[in-house]
This record gives sequence, C-alpha cells and structure tokens, in this order.
Amino acid sequence: MWSGCCGCCSAFRPRYKRLVDNIFPVYPQDGLVKSNMEKLTFYSLSSPEKLDRIGEYLYQRAARDIYRKKYGFVVIAMEAMDQLLLACHAQTLNLFVESFLKMVQKLLESTEPELQILATQSFVKFANIEEDTPSYHRRYDFFVSKFSAMCHSGEKEEVRDKIRTAGIKGLQAVVRKTVSDDLVENIWEPVHMDKIVPSLLFNMQESGFHKKESEAIDGGQEDTLDPPMLAETCMRELVGRASFGHIRAVLRPVFRHFDLHKLWVPNQFAIHTFRIIMFSIQAQYSYTVVETLMAHLDDNTKSSPTIRTNIAGVLSKIIAIAAGESVGPSVLEIINSLLSHLRDSVKNEASQTEEKEYQEALINALGEFANHLPDYQKIEIMMFIMSKIPFPLVNNNSPADNLLQSILLKSLLKVGTKYQTIHLNTTFPVSFLEPLLRMSLAPDPDMRLLVQKILHTLIDRHNNLEKLSKPTVNVADLDLVLEKSSRPDLIFINKHGPIIYDALYTSLQIDTNVPDNIEAVYTTLALLCVELACAETVIDLLQLTLGIQSLALNSTSLSNAQKFNLHAIVISLLMLIPTVVNIQPLANYAAQIAEQRKQEALHLLPDLYSHYSDNSEVANKLPHLLVDQMAVCEYVKESGIDPSRLQQTSPYGAGGPGLIAGSQRNSWIENGARGSIIELPIAEVDSAASSPGVQKKHTEEDLNFESMKKVLTEPPEIRKEAEAERRKMLSHTFRTATFSELVRRTQPKHDVLQSKLNEIFKSLTANENRSPTDEKKEDIIPHYEQNFPELFYY
Amino acid sequence: MDDYKFLFKVVLVGNAGVGKTCLVRRFTQGLFPPGQGATIGVDFMIKTVEVGNEKVKLQIWDTAGQERFRSITQSYYRSAHALILVYDISSQPTFDCLPDWLREIEEYASSKVLRILVGNKIDREDREIPENVGEEFAERHNMYYLETSAKESDNVEKLFMQIAEDLMKQARTRDLPRYDSNNQTIDGRTSTINDSSCCSRLQ
Repeated sequence: MWSGCCGCCSAFRPRYKRLVDNIFPVYPQDGLVKSNMEKLTFYSLSSPEKLDRIGEYLYQRAARDIYRKKYGFVVIAMEAMDQLLLACHAQTLNLFVESFLKMVQKLLESTEPELQILATQSFVKFANIEEDTPSYHRRYDFFVSKFSAMCHSGEKEEVRDKIRTAGIKGLQAVVRKTVSDDLVENIWEPVHMDKIVPSLLFNMQESGFHKKESEAIDGGQEDTLDPPMLAETCMRELVGRASFGHIRAVLRPVFRHFDLHKLWVPNQFAIHTFRIIMFSIQAQYSYTVVETLMAHLDDNTKSSPTIRTNIAGVLSKIIAIAAGESVGPSVLEIINSLLSHLRDSVKNEASQTEEKEYQEALINALGEFANHLPDYQKIEIMMFIMSKIPFPLVNNNSPADNLLQSILLKSLLKVGTKYQTIHLNTTFPVSFLEPLLRMSLAPDPDMRLLVQKILHTLIDRHNNLEKLSKPTVNVADLDLVLEKSSRPDLIFINKHGPIIYDALYTSLQIDTNVPDNIEAVYTTLALLCVELACAETVIDLLQLTLGIQSLALNSTSLSNAQKFNLHAIVISLLMLIPTVVNIQPLANYAAQIAEQRKQEALHLLPDLYSHYSDNSEVANKLPHLLVDQMAVCEYVKESGIDPSRLQQTSPYGAGGPGLIAGSQRNSWIENGARGSIIELPIAEVDSAASSPGVQKKHTEEDLNFESMKKVLTEPPEIRKEAEAERRKMLSHTFRTATFSELVRRTQPKHDVLQSKLNEIFKSLTANENRSPTDEKKEDIIPHYEQNFPELFYY
Repeated sequence: MDDYKFLFKVVLVGNAGVGKTCLVRRFTQGLFPPGQGATIGVDFMIKTVEVGNEKVKLQIWDTAGQERFRSITQSYYRSAHALILVYDISSQPTFDCLPDWLREIEEYASSKVLRILVGNKIDREDREIPENVGEEFAERHNMYYLETSAKESDNVEKLFMQIAEDLMKQARTRDLPRYDSNNQTIDGRTSTINDSSCCSRLQ
C-alpha cells in the first residue's frame, strides 16, 4: 500500500526500492529500462543480502499492477526477476526464489492467458537453474495443479493451444526440478502423478497421434511443437526418469485414463502410448509394464471381450520389447499369467467369436514374447505350458477342458515355431517329450494333429518341413537339405527313439484318424528320418515302416481308407529312407513297388484321401505290391548294414499297442531313473518265442504274463477284438498314470517348474474322475504290478 | 492486493451440466456465461473475500463433470478444504448420482473436508427435487445444504461466504497457521505448505 507514493518521495526510500522503481519506464510499452536494470543487477550482486527484499518488493509491485490490470508493468517486473534470478548465484538466492515463485504463482492465478504463459516461461527458466542449497520446505503442488489445469484449457483455438503448451512445459519443468533433488517434494506421489499423467495423455490423444506423419516432417524445432508432440516428449522424459519404485505410480493413472476415456477400443492410441512407455522406460523395468498390463487384464475380467482382446493386442505389441530384458522367474510369471488368462477365457463357457479373438490375441502375445526370449528359455516355457495342459486326456468331461487343451497346444505350437532346434536332446528333455507323446494319442483328432505339428516344428532344422508335408514317392524331386546327424542326436534317438516310434505307431492305430492325421505322422517320421539320417537309425525306421504295413494288413478296427492311407505312407517312407541314407538297392526296390502300384493299385499310393472308390482292392489280395520284409533285409545287408534286428519279429506286429506302450514305458522309466542308455529298448513283449537278442530285465515277467494271457484268451477272433478293446482301455490307464511325474520330481533342475506343476496338479485332481487316493495308489504300485496291468485294472 | 490471512481450496464436483462452472463464474467474475461449454479436465479461479475484516483467499477448482475426466478430477479432491457437491434441482438423475459422488469423496478426499450440497438452477420452473428432499439428504450425510441459482445470482455469494466463514472458524479453533503477508518466511509457497499442514490438523 505504501508503494503507491513511490514516485514522489523516492529520495527517502531505501536504496533497493529506488533501484527497483527505476527499472520501470513511464509507459509500459517502452519495456524494461535496460541501464537501470544493470544497476539493479550490480547492486544485488554486490549486496546479495538485499536480494530477498528486492524480490519481495518486485512481487508487491507486480501484485498491485495485476490488481490494477496494468499488465505491461507486470511483464516488466517478471522480466526483471528472471534476469536477477539468472544473474545471481549466491546463497541468498534461496530467499529470492521464494518471492520469485510467489510471483509466478500470482501470475498463474490471474485469468489472463498472456500472464499465465509468461509465468510458465519464467518457471521453466527457474527449473533449469541448479540450486546449490536445498530448500526443504518448498512445495510445488499448486504448480502441478495449475499446470495440469492449463493442459486442459478450454479457451478458444489459438489461445487454447498456447496455454496447453505452456501447461505441458510447466509440468515438464516441475518434473525436471524435482526429480533431481531428493530433498524437495516427491513428484512421484500419486497426488501429483494422477494429475500429470492424465494431462499429458489427454494432450497426446487430442490430435497428434493421427497426424503424426505430417508432424514428423517439420518436427525438430522445439518452439513449433504442438501440444500433442510436446506432451509425448514430456511423457518420454517422465517415464525415462522413473525408477523402479515409481513405475507403478506412473502406470496407474495411465490405465485409469485409458479406462475412463475408453481408449482401449480401438487400441491404436494405447499401442502408441505403451510403445512410448516401453521405449523410454529404463530397460530393466520394462517387464513391470507388461506385468501391470496383465494385472489390468485381470481387473477387466468382467469387461467385454472386445476390450480384453484389445488390451491383449496391446500386450502382444509391446511384449517383445520386454522380452529381451526379462530374466528368471519374471518370464515364467508372465507366461503363467498369460496362460491363466487363457484358462479363464476358456472357462467362460459362452465362447463366442469375440472370446475366440481374445484367446487368439493372448496366444499371439505369448508367441511374440517367446519369440524374443533366448532359446533355452523357450524350452522351459514349452515345458511350462505342457505342465499346464490338463490331464487326463481321455476323461474329459467338459468341452471346456477340451478347448483348453487345444488352446494350450496352440500356444505351445506358437512358441515352438519360434524355437530353433540345435540339438534334439536339448529340445526334448524327457519331461517335455514324454507328456508330448502322451498327448499325441489324445482322443481328439484335431489335438493329435496339433501335437504332430509341434513335433514337426521342433524336429525340423533344415527347413524340410514344407517339402515333407505331403507323402510322395518322388523323393528325388524334393530337394531335401541333408546334414550328417551329430553324435548327441544319435544318442538321443537311441535313448528315446522307441517311445517316439511307438507313440507314432500307436497313433496310427486310432480309428478316428483322418488323412491329415496320417499325413502328419508321416511328416514327423520323414523329418526324423531326414534329421537323423544314419545307418544306426535306419533299421528302426524300416522296422517301423514294416510295422505300419502289417498294421494296415491286419488291423480290424481301421477302415479301408485308413489302411490305404497307411500303405501310401509306407511306400513313401520306403522311398525316402534309402534316399536319405543312400541304400541304392533298397531305393530301387521301393521304386519298383511304387511303379507297380502306379499301374495296378493307385489307391496304395499318395495322395491320401478319406474316401476311395469301392472297387479299390484290399491290399491283402495284392501281395506282390506289398513291401516284403525279407527283401528289405536282403537289400539292407547288401549295403553293409546288419539287418539282424529287422529279421526278428517286429515289435509292431500283430500284438496290441497298449501293451507295448505300457510295458515299454515302464522299462524306459526304470532305465531312465537309473540313468543308463538303453541300447535295444524295444521290449518285445508280444511273443513268447521272440527276442533272443533283447535282454530285458523283466522279460520273464512279461513272458509269464503273456503266456497267462494266452491261456486266458483262446479263440483267436474273439480274442483279438476283446484284446483290442481291453488294450485301448489299458493304454489310457497308462497314459494317465503319474509315474512319469515321479521321475520328473527326482530331477532337481526343474524346481521352479516343479512347484508350479504341483500346483496345477492339485487343481487338476479335482477335475479328474479318479479320486486323489486312487491316484496315490497307482503311484505306489509295486513294479511287478505294473507289468500286470490287467490284474490291477480289474 | 495480496495480504490475505487465509487461503482455502474449494473444489466443485457433480454431474455434467449441473452448473458448476456457472456458479464459479458468477461468484468470481459476476457474470453468467450463456452457452457455457463443458469443462475440460479442471478449471481454476481465484477470489479473495473479506470475512470479519480478514482477507480470505479462495482457490476454486472447478472440475469437469464428464466421467472420462474422473481420473484427473479425483486427484484434486485430496487437498481440498471444502467440497461443493452440486446437483440440478430440475434433473432427477443428477440427484440420484449423489451417493456415487459421496462414495468418491469418501475415497479420495480428506475425511474432515467441509462438504456442502448445492441444488442449483432454482430459477427453473420444472423443479423435480423438492427442497426438503435435498435438505434431508444433506442432513443424513452431514452436509450443509443450500439452493442456488447461478443465473439469478441467488445464494451464490452466500454459498462461498459461508464456506469462507466456516473454514475460517475451523482454522481458528484448530489454530491453523496464518497466511500473513507480513510474516514473509513462508509466503513463497503460500497455498502449498500451509494448507497441507492445515489438512493434517483438520484430521
């Protein structure tokens, strides 16, 4: 109030006041009086103790001028303060800053856009100054509040953009000012972030994103940036500065904003924003974003599938960025979460198309994620997914379970396609291979097909998959990529070949197979053959091929079409095998049969059909068109490979598949547990007279069992049928048994996985028909009983 | 001028279109803006009033009623000294939403915040909510109640003066630090430092 008379009695006033008064011109449009400003600056530099009073006095003058709406003078006062602020680096600056900020606030409180913008500029200048004395008590929440409000300015067009720009710059300045200084206010408090983040997002979404293209051209000059671009820059900076503890404070308002502004559908802006976040965030925290996004998916379980699909879409777009940085448990955490979302989605019985899209989006996200992980983690992930697939496959009561299985298999396939196999033994750890093979015998043909596809993508290392996808007798045209198989691979196939072959063979016996299934099995076999081409494996493969032929000849359950299909793949395999391992005589023999069939029985050649014309003759009546075991042996021998194994009775003969599968699995588990490599692991349990060469520990038991069974089941025809039926059931029992789980438990390296697995297991037992106690009983069956499964079963 | 003794933050909330901005405009600028558009985010006004020879500065934050701005508006509740909950007496839906607003206030605002229920637009002929209904509601929820018309300037002044007086009374009894412009050590952060301590004392 006393300042009103400053003009007339300036001589009696303190010096600093006189100096301040002198910087103001008579007419505001003349601007700051430069020479007097220099005097003031010099004075405040030489006597810094007066700085606080100068500041206070300037502030009072400005406040009065605002009141009187003499805005010209206000501008000058602010300018003077700016200059003083920049000129002085004294300890006393601290006090001056108080009046400086008061001044800024005063200007911001006015309704004049010009003054608000001016104040923001000054604040930005202030924020760029490094203060050397901490100011414990200074607070910025008015500034945050006001700048945020400015970001939402609803003034008319041009003014609006200016004020919004000012608001964003102000926020940026507050952030810069506060993050570097621990002693001042914590800008990461939710109370601030809840204002800053939505304000930035609001501006980003306004227009910028859609005309981003045109913006990019003239971007670069800071001043011409429009609010959306500026907001984006500010967002990047903010996210970039956030430390681990603060990420959530930033993300929470982001999610709220997207929810409230309904920005998930369509999700372009969401993707855009999250990409910005992912690229700006300190790399080691990026998975937090993924986690949070997933948690948000949790929160949205009740929302419409469209929203969830879009969130999952965002997830799949950014998840790759996170993958590179994710390590250890966080990876499994993410996968686990994705899988449980899938599971939840499947449980939503009403699976409409939207829900399907959602599942699709989740699987995509999973694939994207896996794609960017190192290979060793991919295997872990595949095993993990495997552990999530509900067993048993046979006792599916609900279609939901079925759906879940096939969806999980799809996820597995997705991950599998991203994986590049180097050594088969690293790709197929026992704990992965075993359940996978078990699943290849699922009752649902589509599921079996999926499993085969997984096998394809994992086995194929030389991009032969395309070429071998259809059986053919023109192997020479295929232009296969061959490479000599490595030692570890051979060890692998020696060890696990039998169970693989057996699973494939068994799956061919299933009467619900369509040509696709049979083709897929062929592809798997062909790939195995190509990948593991060598003299040692060729016998096994030939044996299997002959086995398939005799299956086609003797089976009672398969339809004629299926049998023809089998014959077709037999000849295709027989063409392929000698080509790969280079047994010319055998190749000639195969070619000769193929040629004959071409003339007499086209239906015994590829391609595979589900229906054949009625006059197609059953292969049994065309013995000259069949592959003859003795001839094969002969040709193999000619090439210097010992065919003695081939001459023995085939393990795949007339015998029931279930029994083979069962006892073989037993022996494998036993041997696996002892850690030994089985040299000739095909347990020929079927015929009592067989296998002088095969020394199995429990051959005798098997023999007893066999003979006993023979006594039991005398009439051959009825026996066959009854047996087939019984064995089917048996094999199911075995597939669902949990012995293999026991084995896995003994392997310490899967600890993490194991604990997860146990969880799943617990939840699974609830779904199963059998009570947990039953299962336990099965777990502790003494070994001999395992070899008498029928006894146990009844 | 700037020698106020108290500074209070007042936040207006309520459904879209009940007349929050008009109330603020009427009070701070003395005008009734016809065809006022929807507020975006938050708007800010300041007004200094005199209560018993003491200057009181009111920082008025006028929030958007639209739901999509809820995230930003809620963040302003926390530091408020007074919350004015506005509804439109000629629109039942705006009244029906009051419990939701109260829930939100419970969640985000300080528990001791001064709450005022305002039924606006009493100039309108087509009243849907009788005065006593509003009053009962306010009583039940321990709020002040006032009916206003921003258009006719009825009770607007009274509303804000009442708030200023009440807050001042509250501040005095609880011995709030005073925003004295002569006591300059703290004035740079006026609004800020003081009302935070004020809030904590209110609790």
